[in-house]
Amino acid sequence: MKKKEFDDFLVLEGVTKKFKDLLALDNVSFSLQQGDIFGYIGPNGAGKTTTIKIIVGLLRQGKGTISIGGYPMPDKKDEVNKLLGYLPQQVSFQQWRTVDHALTTFGKLSGLNKNELESNIRDILTLLNISEIRYKKIVELSGGTIQKVGLAQALLHRPKLLILDEPLGGLDPTSRNQIKKIIKDLSKNGTTIFFSSHILSDVQDVATKIGVLNWGRLLQVGTLDELIAKFTINKEIEIVLSKDSGKWIELKSFKQIEKIEEISPHKILVYLKSGTDVNELVHKIIQKLLSLDCQIRSIRPLSPNLDDVYLQYVKGGGSL
Amino acid sequence: MSFALLFKDELLGFYKSKVMIFLWIGLPVLTILFHLWAPDTGPELPFTVVSALLVSSIGGTLASAMLVVSIINEKTSRVYDLFLIRPIKRWNIILSKFFAVYLCLVIASTLALLLGVAIDTFNSGLPSDVMLNSALQSLTLSLSMIMVSSAAGVLIGVFSPSILVGVILVLYGGNQISAVISLLPSMLNVPNPSFITVFIGVVITCILLGLTIFLFNKKQF
Repeated sequence: MKKKEFDDFLVLEGVTKKFKDLLALDNVSFSLQQGDIFGYIGPNGAGKTTTIKIIVGLLRQGKGTISIGGYPMPDKKDEVNKLLGYLPQQVSFQQWRTVDHALTTFGKLSGLNKNELESNIRDILTLLNISEIRYKKIVELSGGTIQKVGLAQALLHRPKLLILDEPLGGLDPTSRNQIKKIIKDLSKNGTTIFFSSHILSDVQDVATKIGVLNWGRLLQVGTLDELIAKFTINKEIEIVLSKDSGKWIELKSFKQIEKIEEISPHKILVYLKSGTDVNELVHKIIQKLLSLDCQIRSIRPLSPNLDDVYLQYVKGGGSL
Repeated sequence: MSFALLFKDELLGFYKSKVMIFLWIGLPVLTILFHLWAPDTGPELPFTVVSALLVSSIGGTLASAMLVVSIINEKTSRVYDLFLIRPIKRWNIILSKFFAVYLCLVIASTLALLLGVAIDTFNSGLPSDVMLNSALQSLTLSLSMIMVSSAAGVLIGVFSPSILVGVILVLYGGNQISAVISLLPSMLNVPNPSFITVFIGVVITCILLGLTIFLFNKKQF
């Protein structure tokens, strides 16, 4: 089959996978362009790893089509494998291997010649700050360092599509920031990155596109702003008072306010009804509080983050 | 290219894990111990033949068990994932492992049999044509049995869900298949038993390896 012209680098259309009676993936469709960083989130057992294994060809989809770089999977697996870098959730190497030996083997299998291999191994170990462990046996390394060796083998041949299953799990905060920076830099150079994670703040930090999966169904795909806009999330305003007359309770008279809570002394949280114009209401609240003999130290609307979106979609049963 | 690389890797793995050294030293040592235990096997049954039977039995069991444990271990710890997502054919993984183990056993068996010849020479003087012919037939028999055992080990390793099940299957099933190799030529009373032994061994090995590759290609990880 001839390679087709394409705009999207990774395309999944109607991908479905069943394990006996269990529907692991139900009609999953999305597409990524070159340079996209796709954060794939969802609870345990949602189908994230199954999706990843189907994309890299370790599992076969029951229904649906997958195209990577214009090549259909799994028909053109050999072509696709040249474009692919993959870090599994639990990376594992043969016990006798040193880091250098593992990277040499995987580099050669990915088609690197002798000169490229040596320079790429040196560069990638330096990038990940693990040059000193090059000749150590992998089984003697810590879990976090093995994770970095796993990432090294995925990046070694400079793949166009990088698939990372929970790449930041088990890493310390410094290493997590380091990997996030690497992901962003790779994206700037045109690498498409697909990664799953439970750490939503990390996804929010790096992902340019987010997919929310639950019970095998892709509930939503888009940027964080698009996800927030598509799902109604109640907004809140946090107010800190320097002088509290106790009369702030009268704010309840505003019809845009759902409820008011004193979360700590001098600190109140105002929950707004959906569709409320926050800016207009903040102005009214300030005037009202001053008239009620309350002095304001600070007042700020709280923006929903990815955690809020995730909870709305997954726990709140949000769906399209 | 991939096959050569993986084959070299497997040999290096056996060398680093000391399995190779154990085989190359262990089997000849067993031959000497057996000689010390039963030194007089008589002119009808040269010690070379006895040591061949010993080596093929122990070597075949070792080879099949090594392969089963190695494949199931690597399968369950998901070592293969990083190989399978690279542009290589799946059969390279299986055949490189089979040939690496088989080569180790060929060297170990040859060393053990040469030791058997040396012991016979020491006992009965310079080796006669009959003794050399007998040694060659023994080596053929031994290597054919090990080849079939190894192929059975690879097959069981690919489809077996656990190491325990795999080892039980290989001990009670795999080695029985290899025993057919040694018995058939005698039962059929054919004129050229060495050739028949090799022929049957190669055919059964090809069937088992073909089936293994078919299953491994179909397998989802």
